[in-house]
Amino acid sequence: MENPYIPKIARIINIQDETPDTKTFTIAFADDKHHFTFSPGQFIELTVFCYGEAPFSISSSPLHKDYFEITVRKMGVVTSALFRLDKNDPVGIRGPLGKGWPIENIYGKDVLIIGGGIGIAPLRPLIEYIIANKKKFGNVILMYGARTPQDIVYKDEFPKWSKVIEVHMTVDVGDETWTGRVGVVTVLFDEIDVDPKETIAVQCGPPIMMHFVTKNLKQLGFPDDHIYLSLERLMKCGMGFCGKCTIGGIYVCRDGPVFSYREIRGLLEKAV
Amino acid sequence: MKKIDIGTAEHAFFVPFEKFRQLVNTLLEEYVVIGPVRKQDTTSFEIIENVDELNLDYEGHTKIPPKKFFLPPREILFTYRINEKNVVIEDNLEVLRNEKRILIGIHSCDIHSLLIMDKIFIGEFQDPYYRARRENTIIIGLVCDKPADYCFCYFTKSGPDITDGYDLLLTNVGNGYLVEIGSKNGLEIVHKHREYFTQAEKSLLEEKKKKIREITDKLKSRGLPFFDTVYSDMVHNFDHEIWNELGSKCLACGKCNYACPTCYCFDIIDEAEPDLSSGKRIRIWDSCHFLSFTRVASGEVFRAERSSRVKQRIYHKLVYSVNHIDLISCVGCGRCIDVCSARIDIRDVVSKIKGGG
Repeated sequence: MENPYIPKIARIINIQDETPDTKTFTIAFADDKHHFTFSPGQFIELTVFCYGEAPFSISSSPLHKDYFEITVRKMGVVTSALFRLDKNDPVGIRGPLGKGWPIENIYGKDVLIIGGGIGIAPLRPLIEYIIANKKKFGNVILMYGARTPQDIVYKDEFPKWSKVIEVHMTVDVGDETWTGRVGVVTVLFDEIDVDPKETIAVQCGPPIMMHFVTKNLKQLGFPDDHIYLSLERLMKCGMGFCGKCTIGGIYVCRDGPVFSYREIRGLLEKAV
Repeated sequence: MKKIDIGTAEHAFFVPFEKFRQLVNTLLEEYVVIGPVRKQDTTSFEIIENVDELNLDYEGHTKIPPKKFFLPPREILFTYRINEKNVVIEDNLEVLRNEKRILIGIHSCDIHSLLIMDKIFIGEFQDPYYRARRENTIIIGLVCDKPADYCFCYFTKSGPDITDGYDLLLTNVGNGYLVEIGSKNGLEIVHKHREYFTQAEKSLLEEKKKKIREITDKLKSRGLPFFDTVYSDMVHNFDHEIWNELGSKCLACGKCNYACPTCYCFDIIDEAEPDLSSGKRIRIWDSCHFLSFTRVASGEVFRAERSSRVKQRIYHKLVYSVNHIDLISCVGCGRCIDVCSARIDIRDVVSKIKGGG
């Protein structure tokens, strides 16, 4: 039996600045033959040797098999150490782990994608997949909110995405360059037209954002099983053992991180 | 552990105390032997060098459960060396797979706790370190005949009788032990050291039954509610006022987690050499009572209120565990009551919740 605690050695092959505190790292396995397959919404555990291991959503298209990306905000020990690494430096990878977005349930339906800040990272594989397979989906809308124009991640990709899907953006606080909407992501609900019965909503962002987005979606008439969320908790082992990511007895790492609202609304502990 | 028919006379043996001592000394040549050892005024499970260290007459439970031999408080999962830009990982698992251990003198509550931990760590996902330690260890159980003040295994249905989870089971019958076989491994030990054993008289099995009845009656007279029926009361009382009371009493020290034979939550950290040429991945026990337990990178803490952390442990034992593995994970050992400086008593909590008052 393979030991699931042992990371596979991989290398950073590219580093892209996203915002002043966020970078996207492209990673490939040292053993080139290793084909990395994952479902949009899954995560990996990344080791920066001598500093530790932390969970990150995979943020690249699932169609690329020879590398993958993670988009990281510099926050703690592991992310700070990661920011000091260069191209070709080794890292350790475990995964892909967890359950991703329910793509089969979305086929043929309209899709409403809502992201807040770096919470768009686990949504990007889904966006890329939808764009590559647009015929399998109905109308697709992306609502994205960031704190300031500077904090928008994947800046260069929104124009590309908006050729295929409907994109709406807002920032909490604008600046002299910003001509778009100002306000939290829920202000964008007045710009869109959706049929809740025919639409699957998927969201990821800070807990407070998901709380209010879910409220809005319920007011619009979305059934609980048409709302999906990717939850953030401390996922250390990634296999449902260490207990740090539990909410009311479910393990975010093993049972999620993507859940339908139906799965989490009745938990004893509040999930969002 | 392959199950075989147990509790029948042909699978029961007798070993006089003196022969048992000789047996343990023989086993010491082949195995790492772990057993209850008296340490000042408490007893704890330790690796022994000599049979004289064993204290098989201990009351109720040891202060720290034997889980430390399956999920150590701190263990190195693997080490790594960094040469230039290459990393070489050395797994610690092989060492464990080659060990041979015997755990002697473990009571029904603790045997039950291992069966519960097996469902967690040897299920859909497998923890190879836990599994290797379980597979390298023979379990010689011991019928508990001196329940301590805090013991309530009868109400969690995890004692005093035990029918599963041991390779051999000892019952003190006055001049020696009745030895019952619980597995093929257990049978092999008896066969290999047949000179120490005689076939048990049927009367010894009767004597054991009588003994179990007496201990059961003693525990029964403590008049507690059955824990396994508390599930729905717990589910409906998540906002009961008792949780705020307990939240203000609890010191959030985590001793109950460390003393609990089924608390298994852990943290994983890296320790590096100062020159960053090598490091270790280490697993350490953690506690759901610590503020840091749920803290994510953004600084958000999901159980910031102390009451939510007191709840977490008790709901895990009595509700989440049932959802997950179909069993409560309280074995009634009473250790958490014994160690709690704030005098939080899970029996009172259950009584109050069940009584609705």
